[in-house]
Amino acid sequence: MTRRAALGTMLAGAAGFAALGPRGERFDPRGRIVLEYWEKWTRHEGDAMERIVDAFNASQDRIVVRYNVVSDIGQKSLVSIAGGNPPDVIGLYAFNVVPYAETGAILPLDELAARAGMSLDQYTPGVRRVMRHQGKWWATVNTAGSIALYWNRAAFRGAKIDPDRPPRTIAELDEMHRRLVRTDASGALDRVGFLHREPGWWSWLWAYHFGGRIYDEALGRATVDSSEDIRAMEWMQNLSRGLGVDRTARFAESFGNYFTPENPFLTGKVAMIVQGPWIANLINAFKPDLDYGVAPFPTETAGPIDSPVGLIDTDVLVIPRGARHPGAAMEFIAFTQRQDMTEQLATAHCKPSPLAKVSEAFLANHPNRGIRVHYDILRSDRSFVAPRTRVWQQFKDEFDTQVQRMWRLEVAAPVALARLQTRVQSFIDRAAERQRRRYGQRGTA
Amino acid sequence: MMPTAHGQSTAPARGDAERRASRRGVVAGLAWTSPWLIGSCAVVFLPMALSLYYSFTDYPLLEPPLWTGLDNYRGMMHDPTFWRVVRNTAVFAGLSIPLYTIVALVLAAMLAGRGRMAPIFRACVFLPTLVPLVASAMVWMWLFNGEYGLINKVLGLAGINGPAWIVDKDWVMVSMVIMSVWGVGQGVVIYVAAMQDVPGQLYEAARIDGMGVGRQFLHVTLPMISPSILFNVIALTIAAVQVFAVPYIMFRRPDGQNPVGHFYTMYLYENAFIYGKMGYASAMAWLQLVVVLVLTGVLLLASRRLVHYARV
Amino acid sequence: MRADKPHSYKGPRPSGVLSSVLLVVVSVAFLAPLVWMLSTSVKPEDQAASGEMRLLPTPPSSVFAHAADNYSAVWNDRTIRFPMYLRNTLIVAILGVVGMTLSSAIVAYGLSRIQWRGRGFVFFLVLATMMIPFPVLMVPLYIIFRELGWTGSLKPLWVPAWFGSAFNIFLLRQFFMTIPAQLDEAARLDGCSHWSIFWRVILPLSKPALAVVALFHFIYVWNDFVGPLIFLTDRDQFTLALGLQLYQSQAGNTPWNLLMAASALMISPLIVLFMLTQRTFVQSVATDGLK
Repeated sequence: MTRRAALGTMLAGAAGFAALGPRGERFDPRGRIVLEYWEKWTRHEGDAMERIVDAFNASQDRIVVRYNVVSDIGQKSLVSIAGGNPPDVIGLYAFNVVPYAETGAILPLDELAARAGMSLDQYTPGVRRVMRHQGKWWATVNTAGSIALYWNRAAFRGAKIDPDRPPRTIAELDEMHRRLVRTDASGALDRVGFLHREPGWWSWLWAYHFGGRIYDEALGRATVDSSEDIRAMEWMQNLSRGLGVDRTARFAESFGNYFTPENPFLTGKVAMIVQGPWIANLINAFKPDLDYGVAPFPTETAGPIDSPVGLIDTDVLVIPRGARHPGAAMEFIAFTQRQDMTEQLATAHCKPSPLAKVSEAFLANHPNRGIRVHYDILRSDRSFVAPRTRVWQQFKDEFDTQVQRMWRLEVAAPVALARLQTRVQSFIDRAAERQRRRYGQRGTA
Repeated sequence: MMPTAHGQSTAPARGDAERRASRRGVVAGLAWTSPWLIGSCAVVFLPMALSLYYSFTDYPLLEPPLWTGLDNYRGMMHDPTFWRVVRNTAVFAGLSIPLYTIVALVLAAMLAGRGRMAPIFRACVFLPTLVPLVASAMVWMWLFNGEYGLINKVLGLAGINGPAWIVDKDWVMVSMVIMSVWGVGQGVVIYVAAMQDVPGQLYEAARIDGMGVGRQFLHVTLPMISPSILFNVIALTIAAVQVFAVPYIMFRRPDGQNPVGHFYTMYLYENAFIYGKMGYASAMAWLQLVVVLVLTGVLLLASRRLVHYARV
Repeated sequence: MRADKPHSYKGPRPSGVLSSVLLVVVSVAFLAPLVWMLSTSVKPEDQAASGEMRLLPTPPSSVFAHAADNYSAVWNDRTIRFPMYLRNTLIVAILGVVGMTLSSAIVAYGLSRIQWRGRGFVFFLVLATMMIPFPVLMVPLYIIFRELGWTGSLKPLWVPAWFGSAFNIFLLRQFFMTIPAQLDEAARLDGCSHWSIFWRVILPLSKPALAVVALFHFIYVWNDFVGPLIFLTDRDQFTLALGLQLYQSQAGNTPWNLLMAASALMISPLIVLFMLTQRTFVQSVATDGLK
């Protein structure tokens, strides 16, 4: 009987909670247009964006923006657009722009932006490349990012390396890495100089630092089997071989998650990493006394210092097809692109502002000490963006898989890359062929 | 059933009544089963037909389907990732099902006759099967951590330097199998119940024939509970072919999918909802259906000789 | 879970100390992951992350403080809102359980207590659909729900339950078959319709079986990951399973002690339910394996 009473209580509690429990806020728009804004940022990054949203909502009385955090945003957005029930504004990644544009998932912004008084000239040159595709303007950039080398100066000093002189070539990086590797009494790794797999978010970018690339947009061809690509991957394999595959795997399992004090760059387990400017947020939050330096990631042969090589990886705002209020959405986007707003957001995210014009105060008070390096990369004519093809997601997944196998020395780089080339090219060709069958020679939606 | 002249017999009248009754029966039967009949048309048979159609098309999420004939099926044959997920899934099924079954049988045999303590042991073994897959993936990721995981800490006590379980290609499958054996409780409970239904006389006879404990288990218990084993193995096979949530959570890392922890349904899902290849995903799904049917058929055929159905 | 009592076991009993010890070891091994989960969930982040083999944090007296910290951190997380996910899960579970139990019972009645031509065929169809892998239905279901405007709402997760499920129909049919036919014949002589036989005779006799179906569906909802993953887009609609995965994948930012606390929170209702219904539960799982 007591058992039955307990069950009854549970059931009643459950029903009560289901009926009365917390639900998503619904607010009264009071006659205003409600814009649904999906964004991937959470925690401090999300807070900063929410402050911009609040500022916009307070700045006028016709439109109110709702900030929604969405995980796996690329996939969820695609599904919601296909479902005909998308939000009004989505914060995506730069690499989403081309696949979305080519499948007609997002609206071209040329007219809307002109009406809102925006022009492409406002933006830093590197950033403009992300915004345009096939002669149209598809996305605006709310925070810019470029990828650089971060090094731990204390670790350099400890290994008797000049802490003020980051590696300029891959060979120098290798040499410093070797000197930084440290093992404990049992032979297990305790510190490494550099690790391609940390954080491993851009497994495909090394070829660009060897003077190559992985995709030729003009020809619509993958180029992952070029000699530069092969050299880049062989470099990675050499480093892995030197450390020992199994030993490194165990070592990597001791790394904490990215945004925790156990991040291996913060704990000093990895002395040099490839990262974006946002890592400064992590350092400032958990280890403000970490002595770090920022430089462009080295290249195979030293190039001109004033035009470094580096990946431009930014966050973009787009208006999906089927958005209910594209005009109002553009008005909100234009607000976020004001110089004071971009600088406020960029400061909170520790990133560069996407605009060409920045205030001296912004640069002087920036929380990332390497911010100028990130600007150099953004402005450099040797910077690059993710391959601009609609099959990029699968391209990248296939690349990641092969990189994992090469990293574990299961397959020689030329063999893996040759296979990858055939495979990736086959779905590029197939996508192009289907596109032609659908839309004739025009080739786009 | 031929109509006959009036008054000759009561048969026609009875026939009519029967027919009416039978018609009424059919109407009632259909009415009572209509929730399922209607529902399964909406959420089973219609979707099956649609996915068969999609499997012959190129169907990105945002554009209408485009007929491409057998392209998707041909594409699978030349898709190395497809073959990799097939192999991984087959290896997982091939390792986990027999091991699961053996462990379940052994534990069931140990628990079956254990009097008062049995419920407590049984609860211990059964409890893990209640843990939702997402939570159990979480818990095991932590246990399997190469550096700080409990498993390697325990191995360390014995002086063994444990591997990076869910990263290392030689151990990924082992981790998956270990996790699946953790869920053996359902099998144990089923087998214990089946063992309790075995008539005691059979064992008495076996004992009179001088069989020991082991031979009694092999020659009496196993044949008598073989229908349960068959049913369970079929259910396990259908589940193993579809394994998704646990590897999806454990082996998709920021630096990419671990190729060894990549399974059939994961790749199917990626094709459908990440790459927007609904057509290809549907073709994979239909192949999966055919494989499930064939495997079930094979198991049923093979069991004809092995499974003993008590005559009741 | 049948009318007749199960026989008790008469077979060989592996006896002796060895097998008892083995059973204890096995039980410990099966429980260890859950114990470790709980243990990690009541430690501060640094002690949890080092994976030290201690059940309690140091000093042990701090266990309650850390437990309170961790569990309230999970419960009150601003971005991953577990209270809301719990509510969504409960809505899906309650609406689904009611629909599943009722519909499956109705269909099972039609397949067991009414004689009609075609019954065998329908029953065969029901059994056959048990073999259909969900991926075959996944893509078109998404498209169908999209056409209905249901994606992004909880409907795709509970409405189908009102059609019954093959497995539960099978389970209830097997149970209804064991109820003596004289009972409804007597009722029919009293002029009862099928509906009142179903409602007044069959259902009251089948309470344990109905409880099992309810229980199974509840656990199914709690466990379901693929359905929510595909059909839900709005974070306000997420269920616990999806929320927990989100908590973990969240750019990889969540420390282990909080992940374990969140997992423990998700599991605990099931464990409590199990304790309260153990006997029904275990017996019913046992019957699935038969026939």
